[in-house]
Amino acid sequence: MIVDHPQSHFIFLYHPKVFSGEKYTVYEGKELTNGEMLEYWGKWIVLGKREWLDHVARELNPSVEEEKIPCIKYDRAPSVNLGVEECVMMVYCDKRERDDVWRILRQHEVMLKAWVSERETMEMWMPGGRLLERWIRSRNLDRAQADIAREDARSRLCYIFDHPDEVFVPWEQ
Amino acid sequence: MDVMVRVPSSLKKWFEGRDEVLCQGETVGECIGSLVGSFPGLKHRLQDGEGGINSDVLVFLNGENIQGLKEGMTPVRPGDVIGIIPFAAGG
Repeated sequence: MIVDHPQSHFIFLYHPKVFSGEKYTVYEGKELTNGEMLEYWGKWIVLGKREWLDHVARELNPSVEEEKIPCIKYDRAPSVNLGVEECVMMVYCDKRERDDVWRILRQHEVMLKAWVSERETMEMWMPGGRLLERWIRSRNLDRAQADIAREDARSRLCYIFDHPDEVFVPWEQ
Repeated sequence: MDVMVRVPSSLKKWFEGRDEVLCQGETVGECIGSLVGSFPGLKHRLQDGEGGINSDVLVFLNGENIQGLKEGMTPVRPGDVIGIIPFAAGG
């Protein structure tokens, strides 16, 4: 189902089971641990105009409902503050199933093939990471605010790295 | 050898309006160098001051981020496809 809350920067596609507490970070019926998430979880990146991504989302929704694709999110508007002029769609899945998901994307005219692991993304959002620091600059945060943002990132992301055997809990966005 | 390069719409302006171009090389780095030779305005966008790949872009070989391969030294084969996106799109 497509979850489109205007107050959110992102539009999501989830299986309805998510709203009864089930996770989408699952492989072969088993919830991923933090360590497994860091090893296997990631996304295909799809860039395009909002109108086209809305179309692709509608086309992909049945695959999400059938649990062939675990989760999708995409930008409501381009993140120009981060230097991206197009909307970005992230089609999440386990690396061990990404070829199957890619075949679905190809059926819907996605041509540019770009896989980014969640570990790579998290490293970009860690204190000192390129995305977090660019985000801080784009928001003109003063030093104290920037330090709070870095500490928040550190506490949330380091927990994942420091507790590899715990079941991964996707964070709210 | 010839290798296909694909970019998203927002980067088509780098390649005279095309989202697919051919480049030549034996490695990803050589292919990027070939692009810079064909489109001189790209040098500062695709390469850093030392001829490496500019960190403002993410480069993929057949969908795999080359940072997890051998970066610019990653060898290419006939039929391979290089993808280039703004680095922030990966987050």
